[in-house]
Amino acid sequence: MKKFIKWILSGWMVILFFIGFFLFWEYSIIFFDVPKYILPPPSQIFVKGSADLDKLIYYTGITALETVLGFTIAIVLGLGFGIAISFSSILRRTLYPFFVSIEMTPKIAFAPLFISWFGFGLLPKVIIVVLVCFFPIVLNAILAFNSLSNELTLFYQSTGASRIKTFFKIRLPAALPQCFVGFKYAGINATVGATIAEFIGSDKGLGFYISIVTGNMRPDLAFAGIFFLTCLGLSVFAFVTIMEKILMPWHISMKRLNKQ
Amino acid sequence: MAKLIQVTNLKKIFENGSETVHAFGPLSVDINIGEFVTILGPSGCGKSTLMLIIAGLLESTSGKVEFENKLVEGPKTDIGIMFQNNTLVPWRTVKGNIELQLELRKLSLEDYEDKVNDILKSVNLEDFAHRYPNELSGGMQQRAAFCQAMIHEPKIILLDEPLGKLDAMTREKIRADFQKLWMIKKPTVIFVTHSIEEAVQLSSRIILITPRPGKIDREMKIDLPYPRDLKLKRSAKFMEYVNSIEEVFHEYGVI
Ligand SMILES: Nc1ncnc2c1ncn2[C@@H]1O[C@H](COP(=O)(O)OP(=O)(O)OP(=O)(O)O)[C@@H](O)[C@H]1O
Ligand SMILES: [Mg+2]
Repeated sequence: MKKFIKWILSGWMVILFFIGFFLFWEYSIIFFDVPKYILPPPSQIFVKGSADLDKLIYYTGITALETVLGFTIAIVLGLGFGIAISFSSILRRTLYPFFVSIEMTPKIAFAPLFISWFGFGLLPKVIIVVLVCFFPIVLNAILAFNSLSNELTLFYQSTGASRIKTFFKIRLPAALPQCFVGFKYAGINATVGATIAEFIGSDKGLGFYISIVTGNMRPDLAFAGIFFLTCLGLSVFAFVTIMEKILMPWHISMKRLNKQ
Repeated sequence: MAKLIQVTNLKKIFENGSETVHAFGPLSVDINIGEFVTILGPSGCGKSTLMLIIAGLLESTSGKVEFENKLVEGPKTDIGIMFQNNTLVPWRTVKGNIELQLELRKLSLEDYEDKVNDILKSVNLEDFAHRYPNELSGGMQQRAAFCQAMIHEPKIILLDEPLGKLDAMTREKIRADFQKLWMIKKPTVIFVTHSIEEAVQLSSRIILITPRPGKIDREMKIDLPYPRDLKLKRSAKFMEYVNSIEEVFHEYGVI
């Protein structure tokens, strides 16, 4: 509780800014006489959104499921391939350049194909989220597991420790910070992937909701959907950040942030 | 005195594609049990490289290294090494870092608990056992790294500029501590430095290396009694050693 109050106190400028932002939005719409079907004021978004709350919550759950499933699978696959590529010179000369070149194509371009192959259900969305998240995770993991300092390599060699032991006691913890760079980037992409996949073909989820209500000239409800999407994205990012803190309380860059 | 380490015609040339760097050699050196041998030479003359090859962590281009007549063919695991850059890991506390050495060597943490506390005390770090390396000053980190390198009580110790990054005062203090430790346990030490004074103060023998590619210019036995404290360092004999070494490097244009 004390912490919460402290947090509010230290964050008062941001909070004030948000309040100011919404007030500006609310009153400039009245002032400039903007039609509500173009840009609704926040108060209307809130009122109309509340009326549709059940649906919004249900759809948030659907999109969250796609996001979380895809993100989790991408982490497992990304770390697995990342470690395999880091430790195998054959994979490093075959799979790695292949991944790097695929990284250049916008993965979301595959979305219509997956929908046409796998239908309107959960599967194509999860696949698209996996695809969007996988590459930043795998490429950062490869970087992470290949950048052990020369000294630490010599150090563990001089102890005669087994490969498994050095992996868990040195290589893995040393690689974590860079791996989390990938997780964070992927976490941001995850909701984007799920939403676009839903735009293209689905019958539920926040992306579906936003595209339908926009078609019905209801920007107020679209904004309500966007609000829930933002909350979902923030939750995913917060989860990754909290995991980072739990797994790496020592991480220097975070310590520096804490001090500021 | 019994020969412990024999280095014979050792040479290292680094080859990166078309570029080659002749780091050092060929050079030969014998090291006896219980000696404190310092390898003294200008920056870039191949001291660190030589140390890594002696430890079996790097392959030589030609020549051989033997420990008790046994050829070194892979990493030597029964020695203690302190590298030029410290090997403290940021995710473990000072104590955890020392224990990392034990864990990697499959030594029991219980058996060594007292020894960990003792060695921390000997370098005045007992109050910092549960701090992370990034919370320590450079000098404290170096002392923690020293504990990490020594905790398994090796009989042969290789140290690559362990005091290089320290301020003059801390350096003086750790030198004295280290000398005390060496006098008690009498391990065989190979010590790398480019501080002439440090070399004369600590070593029983100094090997002077020429600028790159490093070769042995001469060896010098230091016949001064231990412990070599501040008083001895002000003596004429001590200064004589320092001056004669300075002259050698002056001739090479290094100083
Ligand atoms: N892995 C490497 N690849 C190529 N060249 C190297 C490598 N390691 C060292 N060298 C070169 O070999 C020479 C000797 O390097 P080394 O690190 O052994 O010098 P040093 O005597 O320890 O220097 P210092 O006192 O500055 O630590 C240098 O010219 C360096 O550039
Ligand atoms: Mg060096």
